Formats: sequence, structure tokens, C-alpha cells
Amino acid sequence: MIYQFAYGFFSTLGFTILYNIPKKHMITASFVGASGWITFQHFNIVGDSSIFACFMGSLVISFLSEFFARVCKEAVTIFVIPGILPLVPGAGMYYTMLAFLENDFTKLATTGSETILMAGSIAIAILIISSFTKIFATVRHYLASKKPAYQPTHED
Amino acid sequence: MKQRDKKVLRLALYAGEIMLKNGAETYRVEDTIIRICKSCGISVVETFVTPTGMFISIDNGNTDSDTHTFIKRIKSRGIDLSKVSKINEFSRVFASTDLSIDEGMEILQGIEDTKIYPIFFRVLAAGLVASFFTLMFRGNIQDFFCAFFVGIGVYLISQLLTFVNINDFIKILLSSASAAVFALVALMFSFGEHLNPIIIGSIMILLPGVAITNAIRDSVSGDILSGVCRAIEAFLTAVSIAVGIGFVIKIWQMVIGGILS
Repeated sequence: MIYQFAYGFFSTLGFTILYNIPKKHMITASFVGASGWITFQHFNIVGDSSIFACFMGSLVISFLSEFFARVCKEAVTIFVIPGILPLVPGAGMYYTMLAFLENDFTKLATTGSETILMAGSIAIAILIISSFTKIFATVRHYLASKKPAYQPTHED
Repeated sequence: MKQRDKKVLRLALYAGEIMLKNGAETYRVEDTIIRICKSCGISVVETFVTPTGMFISIDNGNTDSDTHTFIKRIKSRGIDLSKVSKINEFSRVFASTDLSIDEGMEILQGIEDTKIYPIFFRVLAAGLVASFFTLMFRGNIQDFFCAFFVGIGVYLISQLLTFVNINDFIKILLSSASAAVFALVALMFSFGEHLNPIIIGSIMILLPGVAITNAIRDSVSGDILSGVCRAIEAFLTAVSIAVGIGFVIKIWQMVIGGILS
């Protein structure tokens, strides 16, 4: 598991350089990516479903990104984009394509639908967390000013 | 049109353009534009931003004032999150302190001119990504070094294609095809051991992670149009990668043979 954490950490670190993340956030962003990756690995072994594992991993990444974005007063994208990349089902896509080349349509259907559902589960996880943080921000704003109108801010 | 209004509009437009070109979400761009205009005392601001262009209308709210609209077409989009972060910070500073519009313009110019990492570091980073992903997908230490060089090759080719200003999807297609070629050649000279982890590792650099994330974030914040645009972008990129690799593997199998286990 420590090895997996290191793999996730260094590959996300590579992405932070490619996407030119500000230097002071590089380590945090890589930490977010690595945490998501070990969550994915853990649930992959325990839960026997890579779609569910992907969902849990994305939840962790999304939550940590929103958290760090608020702590560092930065855009959430800076953490969530490099963090989510290890979970994007590149391998699934590749195996789907291999199945297609082998004319193995049963395998094509299974790996293909798994890949699409993994991408979908990432989407749903990000959606859930960012919606909840919006609700949280609205409630906090309401409590602070007793005004129901929510002004979108850059921390979202 | 009053000169000052025009200047404000151009400042807001410029900030929005830099953000949109470097991978910010739609609502963040709209928010920044509105924030800049409002902080300069313009009372009515409407903006509509899509990944391929943006519209801004401003009005002073008086009965005799005219509405002014600017349209900006965005042709190419890259990813540079530090620019997004800097402009995010700039818009806060601009709104809370009394910077003049000209000073703001200078700061924006400075942000646009910031250098990205030198090519040497980016190439190393690409190698890092490819090699560690190979380990994540159960490659061994030999595959690790092989993927490092394959990743470097893929990144150099994609940069070269960016330089000649080719269509994005063709660029991705050719880069992923080159990933497959490099991996197969490396395997032929038994430099690497397993084909699949090496190829998976090296296409990771090309994956549409930004498009997927932004598609969702845009849809969540109600910008359905932008969300759909980015989702299509992500889908087409994925298809381009698959086609590039599939084509090379099929041809290789037909000519040289014996790679699909």
C-alpha cells in the first residue's frame, strides 16, 4: 500500500508539472492524487468492483480538493484536475480497444461498459461533493448574514 | 462610448480570455468578469461564456446610457493552471484595493507572459507520469525504464505537433499511435517486458482529464452548454487515442505478427 501511495504521488507530481500548477501547491495536489489512488486500490481489493472503487476514490479526491482549496484560498481545479487523472480509466479504454481488435465482442461489451461506468462514477462523485459544498456555503452564508441570496465566490 | 467604460470592458475581457484559454471553468470566468466590472462601478453586467467564445454587455443603468457589447472568439485552448490561479487572485485584489485600470492591464500582461516550465522539466515530468503509471498497472522495473523513454518520446511528438498547429484530435491520434510504435519497438528489442502496462502508462499523458473534470463542474454550476461541449471534447479525445493505438497494433500484427496475447 505504501508503494501504491508513492506511485500515485509521483505520477500526480508529473501531472502538476505538465499542467503548471503553482509551485507551492504541488505537494498538496500530489497528496490528493495519491490518497485517491490508494482509496481506489483498497476498495478494488476489498469490494471486488472497480466501478465502486473508482467512485470512492473520486469522492476522496473531490472532498480533499474542496478542503485544500478553502484552506489555501485557491481554485478547486488546481487540486482536482491532477488528482483525478490516475482514476481516469485509460487502462479500461485500452483493453476495450484490444477486445475490439481481437473480435471478442463479449469482452468488448464488458470492458467497454465498465470503462464508461467508471468515467460516469467519477462524474457522479465530483457532482455530489461539489453540490454538497455549495449547499454548505449557502447555509453558512445564510447564517452569517441572515440573507438567503447566495453570491457565488471564487472559492467554489 | 466613454473611454473609461471601454477600458474596463477590455480589462475584463482580457482577464476572461486568459482564464478561458488556460482551462478555467465557465462560471469562474463569468464570475471574474462580473467582479472586475462591478468593482469599476458599472452597474449592469451580463456575460455569456462558452468554451469557444464569450460575450460581455455592460450598461451604466442611466436612462440615456447605451449598452455596449464585446464578443471574443477563443480559438485555441491549453492548460496552465497557475495562470488561472493568478488571475483568480488578481480579481480579488483588484476588487478590494483601488488599483487603476491601466495598472490592472499591466498586471494581466505580466500574468500572460509568465513562462511555463522549460521543456526539459516538462519532458522529465512526462517520463515520470508514464513510468509510474506503468508501475501502477503492474509493470516491472524493466517496464518502468522503458515507459520512461516512451513517455518522453510521446510528449516530444505531441509538443512538435502543437508547434505545427495541427487539429487537436489529429494531434492526440498521432501521439498515441507513436506511443504504440515506441512500445512495440522497445518490446521487439526486448527493452521492456510487458506491452500493456507500457502503453497504458504512456497514453496517460494524453488522457482528457481536464475536459472530463470541467465538463462535470460546468454542468453542476448550470452551464449545460459548456458542459456538453467539454464532454464531447473528452469523448472525441478518448476515441482518438483508441483509434491511434488500435491502428498501429493491428498493422503491426498483420505485418510482423504475434503481439496480442
